[in-house]
Amino acid sequence: MSLLEVANVDTAYGAVAVNRDVSLSVAEGEIATILGPNGAGKSTLMRAICGLLKPKRGRIMLDGHDVTGLPPDRLAKLGVVMVPEGRRIFADLTVRENLRLGAYSREDQGEVEADIGRMESYFSILADKRSAKGGELSGGQQQMLAIARGLMARPRLLLLDEPSLGLSPLMVREVQSVIIDVRKNFGAAVLLVEQNAGLALSVAARGYLMQSGKIVLASAIADLRDSTLMRELYLGGGKRPPIKSRDVETL
Amino acid sequence: MEIFLQQLVNSLSVASVIILIGIGITLIFGLTGIINFAHGEFLMIGGMTTWLVVSNGGGFIIGLVAAVLFVGLLGFVLERGLFRLTLDRPMNGFIISLGLIVVLQHFVIRFWNSYQKSIPEPLSGVWEIGGVQIIVMRAVVVLITAVVVAITFFGISRSRYGLALRASVADQETASLMGVPVRRYITGVFIYGSMLAGLGGALMIALFPITPFIGSTIVVRGFAVALIGGLGNVAGAVVAGLVLGLMDGLSAGYGLPEWTEAYSFALMILILLLRPNGLLGGTAGPRAV
Repeated sequence: MSLLEVANVDTAYGAVAVNRDVSLSVAEGEIATILGPNGAGKSTLMRAICGLLKPKRGRIMLDGHDVTGLPPDRLAKLGVVMVPEGRRIFADLTVRENLRLGAYSREDQGEVEADIGRMESYFSILADKRSAKGGELSGGQQQMLAIARGLMARPRLLLLDEPSLGLSPLMVREVQSVIIDVRKNFGAAVLLVEQNAGLALSVAARGYLMQSGKIVLASAIADLRDSTLMRELYLGGGKRPPIKSRDVETL
Repeated sequence: MEIFLQQLVNSLSVASVIILIGIGITLIFGLTGIINFAHGEFLMIGGMTTWLVVSNGGGFIIGLVAAVLFVGLLGFVLERGLFRLTLDRPMNGFIISLGLIVVLQHFVIRFWNSYQKSIPEPLSGVWEIGGVQIIVMRAVVVLITAVVVAITFFGISRSRYGLALRASVADQETASLMGVPVRRYITGVFIYGSMLAGLGGALMIALFPITPFIGSTIVVRGFAVALIGGLGNVAGAVVAGLVLGLMDGLSAGYGLPEWTEAYSFALMILILLLRPNGLLGGTAGPRAV
């Protein structure tokens, strides 16, 4: 049984439909990725999975239990935690306070300090800056803090929304190895949304390609990499669709 | 010098009541964006509750506890019944609070009357310290407020719940992703802020007679304090409450007493011109999603 099962989900903001009939699954301890161009509806789907947005239709299952429509704080308790796009670090709280807050949903509050220690030894920058305000960190440091804060909940599924956004190439490499370690060292499955296809393809075992709100391709990562559709979208190798007059008008 | 010190002590007791109101206003705004103009009426209800208990033979302490509990319950009911429905549009919460002013005032006037109410001074006596005369009741009011402020402050800066509250004020959505049940915190803050207003009302009627119309003067003070200190910032509200209270007391003693209210607003305007986010920095309300 999959850890996460998204079945026939539609989402919308008000009257504006975003996702249509999306189905995907993430297995226990697996890294999966959703790829696709800007505005394809990837982040909206992530918001639905973590409970920030109620799906219009369809079901979201965790361990076979229906969790559709549960609020984010309940899902965090069940082990689904999102590291949001743009990191959303609490700028006025210290690094340590940010980490401690990540553990809010846990029952075993006695072990939180020990876990902060684990995070500080894995992300050494967080130990150096433990008393600094979150807002004083650089973009890359904030991304590390955001991931560590998410891990503090001891999630079973970590949703990462555009973790490489706005980072230097060096930091992107670091994010890449952290994602692999999230699975290896911290035992969490990862669902990754990325603009940086190279990064996503290098860490994930399974991939979904999303276009105009729909999943257009779902496969093991090697097959996805070699697919024509993928080349068209990312690598510029395939045939480009001809420009229609309708597109010109909207410009 | 003695007169100065005496004015100082007197004005501290007025500052105490304003601080209690200001903390509730600043917390509720910080978390929900709702400008609750009925908060002054909560204080009035607290004072009236104390008056009812005392005039029916109960002691002041019982009256005070009853005021805190009853107004806390009122806050709970109003949050769940009315304000909760306006969380997406805090402006509607503000309009509801204006309506509540009328409803709560007239409820009291309808069942009792509009005359001023007073209770016998719970503690009489005057301490004399180095030529300065301190009315005992005023000192007790200051002491109780100091303890409550200290507990509030400690709770917000040190406890796990205070951390979650500060995070929710900064960014509700991300706080909820971290597992914080933000809605429950909103209810909690409404209850706590209301209890402080109830306490303020009980302490106020221990100092002066109050009428059912006291709320509007007090709430305006409370807002001045919340704005000067920085909305959502409890420490700011305490500092601003002290500044305003002292200015009130001193201007009444030395300047033109009829201008007392004007001084505090002049100060508020001045500070907001120089520091638009308040003395200690505040929030512009919950992050719009």
